[in-house]
Amino acid sequence: MSDFNSIADRAAAATPPAIARKVRGLSDRAIAWLFIAPTIVLLLAINIFPLIWTVYLSFTNYASNRPNRPVVNVGLKWYQDILGSPEIWASMQATAHFVFWTILLQTVIGFGLAYLIDRKFRGHAFWTTVILIPMMLSPAVVGNFWKFLYQPQIGLFNYIVSFFTGIPPSSFEMLGSVTLAPWAIIIVDTWMWTPYVMLICLAGLRSIPDYIHEAAEVDRASRWRQFWSITLPMALPFIMLAVLFRGIENFKMFDMVMLLTGGGPGSTTELASIALKRQAFEAYRTGYSSAFAIILFVVVFGLANVYVKALNKVKQR
Amino acid sequence: MAEIHLESVTKRFGDVAAVQDIDLVVQDGEFVVLLGPTGAGKTTTLRLIAGLEKPTEGRVLIGGHDAAPRSPAERDVAFVFQQYSLYPHLSVYDNLAFPLRAPVRRQSREDIHKAVERVARMLRIDHKLENRATRLSGGEMQRVAIGRALVRQPSVYLMDEPLSSLDAKLRSELRLELQHIQRDLGATMLYVTHDQIEAMTMATRIGVLDHGRLVQIGTPREIYESPRNTYVATRLGMPAINLLPAGAFAGAAMPPGTTLIGARTEHIVVDRGQGGGPRARVEWIEHLGDQNHLHLVMGDHRLVTLVGADTNLSVGDELQVSLRRPLFFAADGERIAA
Repeated sequence: MSDFNSIADRAAAATPPAIARKVRGLSDRAIAWLFIAPTIVLLLAINIFPLIWTVYLSFTNYASNRPNRPVVNVGLKWYQDILGSPEIWASMQATAHFVFWTILLQTVIGFGLAYLIDRKFRGHAFWTTVILIPMMLSPAVVGNFWKFLYQPQIGLFNYIVSFFTGIPPSSFEMLGSVTLAPWAIIIVDTWMWTPYVMLICLAGLRSIPDYIHEAAEVDRASRWRQFWSITLPMALPFIMLAVLFRGIENFKMFDMVMLLTGGGPGSTTELASIALKRQAFEAYRTGYSSAFAIILFVVVFGLANVYVKALNKVKQR
Repeated sequence: MAEIHLESVTKRFGDVAAVQDIDLVVQDGEFVVLLGPTGAGKTTTLRLIAGLEKPTEGRVLIGGHDAAPRSPAERDVAFVFQQYSLYPHLSVYDNLAFPLRAPVRRQSREDIHKAVERVARMLRIDHKLENRATRLSGGEMQRVAIGRALVRQPSVYLMDEPLSSLDAKLRSELRLELQHIQRDLGATMLYVTHDQIEAMTMATRIGVLDHGRLVQIGTPREIYESPRNTYVATRLGMPAINLLPAGAFAGAAMPPGTTLIGARTEHIVVDRGQGGGPRARVEWIEHLGDQNHLHLVMGDHRLVTLVGADTNLSVGDELQVSLRRPLFFAADGERIAA
C-alpha cells in the first residue's frame, strides 16, 4: 500500500491549496484517496479478487455446475495430475509450436515489409493501408473466412497451391489433416497479424534519423553492413516489443483457432487455452481448470518477465 | 589528398535555391572556411561535395574527376555532421573504429586499435572509449564525431560547424588542434561556420556566402580589409563595423558616389580635442577586461569602438571623432576603392 500512499501524497502535493480549502473537514490526503478509490475498488473486484479466488479453487474439488456439492480441499492433487497428464503436455506443445512459428514468420515477414515500405516509394501510404486490412478484421470473421478458403473442393487456398505445385486441390485438407492443421492455423495467424508487427517495426525504422544513415554512408559502410550494424540494432528494441506483444497474444490464442479447427483433427490443434476451456466449461472440472490456469499464468508471467529484462537491457544501450 | 572543384553548382529544393551558381576551388592541402549566417547554403554546399545531395546544375570534381557517378562511400570524404550523428547503440571505441572496419579498407585489428587510441588521445576522450556514445556530454560527443573523421585519411575533410556546441575554452583548444592536424596531414579541408573567429584564425581562405551565393572568397586579410560589399564587411570584425551615411562626415575626403562609410574600430580616432570634426557623446562603456567597448552617440547615429582598459573616459564625455582610411560603399552596397 505504500505505493498508493505515495501516489496519494504526490496527488495531494500537486493539488492547489485553494481547492483543498473549499472542502471543509477533509484533508488533502483524504480527498486524494476519494478520487482514486473507485479505480482501486474496480481493480480489486475484477482483477485481484478473481485471481486470488482462482488460486483458492485450484486446491478444491469445486465444480461450477454442482454448486451444492460440499467443497473438499484436495491439496496439490490437480497440480500433480496436470503436470503428469500427456494430453495437457500435448496441448502445451501445440501452443509452443504455434507461438514459435507465428512469431518467427511474423517477425521476419513483418520486418521485411516495414523495410520495404520505409523506402517511401510512390503510393507507400496507400500500400501501408492495404497491408493493414487483415489486422482490422475480427478474429471470428477471419476464422470463418479462412475455413472457406481452406475448403478442399471449393477453397481458393487449395487451388492456388495446386496452381503453383500441380498437386490436385482436393487431394489434401489443410484443416482435416493431422500434419497440415497445425500449419494451417499458423498461416492464418501470420496473415492476420504480420501487419501489426510491420507497423511496430516501421515505427522503429522511422525512429532512426536520416543523418545516421548518411554518416554510415560517408563512413563507407555498404548497404549490407549498414543494415546489420546500424538499422537492425537500432530497430531491435521495437522488434523485441512486437515479439513480446505477439507472444503474449498467441499464448492465449483461442477464438480464431476454435472457429477454424475447434482443436481438431483429434487434438492436434488443441492449444492450451482450448484445452482449458474444455476442462472448465465442457467437463466442468472447475478446480482442475483453475489449477491449469494458474500454471499457465505462472509460465507466461515468468517468460514475459525474463523477456522484459532482456528488452530493457537492449533499450539501455 | 585532393582538390575540390565546384563548377557553377546550383541546388534547388522545390522553388528554393539553397545554393546558386557557386564556383569554388579548394586546392590540395588548403583549409577553406565557408562563412555565413543560418540558411546561407553552407551545409548544402558540403552535402553536395559529400554526395549526400545531387546538384541541380553544375559539376563537382574531386581530385580532378567528376564526382557525379560516385556514391558518398566512393568519394572518400570524411564528414563531421553538425548533429554529431554518432551511432547511439555503439561504444565510443566502436564509433571511432566504424569507418576503419569497412571491408574495402581491410585493416588489421591492431592497426585499427592503434588509430583509434591515437585519435582518442589527441581529442582527450581516451578515458571514455568504453562508454556508450549516448552517455557523453555534448562536447564529448562532438569530439567523438570529429575523431571519427580524423581516424581515416580521406581525400577531403568536410566539417559542418564542428565546434559550435563546445564551451569557449574547449573551442579555442580544438581550434588550434584542428589547425595543427590539418597542417600535419596536409589535409584538404572545407569547414563551415558562422563564427568569424574560427574563420579568421583557421582559414587559408574564407568564402562568404549569402543566400546561396558565394559573395567573396579570399584570404582572411583580404576579406577583412577589402570586403566587396557591406554584407561581407559586417560578417567580420569585433565589434561589428559601423556603417554611417556619408553625410555624417561631410568634411572628410571620400571618393565620388560614396553613400555609406564603413568604420571599423581601427578606422576611428577619438580625442578630447576641439577641432572642427563631428562630435560624439559617450553613452556607455562595456568593460571586457583587457579592453573596453565604447558606445558613442553622434547626432542621430550610434558608433561602437574599442578603447584601452585604462581609459579615463566616462559616460557623458564629449569627444571629437575623426576617421583614418575607412571603407567607402556605394548606394548598392558595393565597396568603392579609395
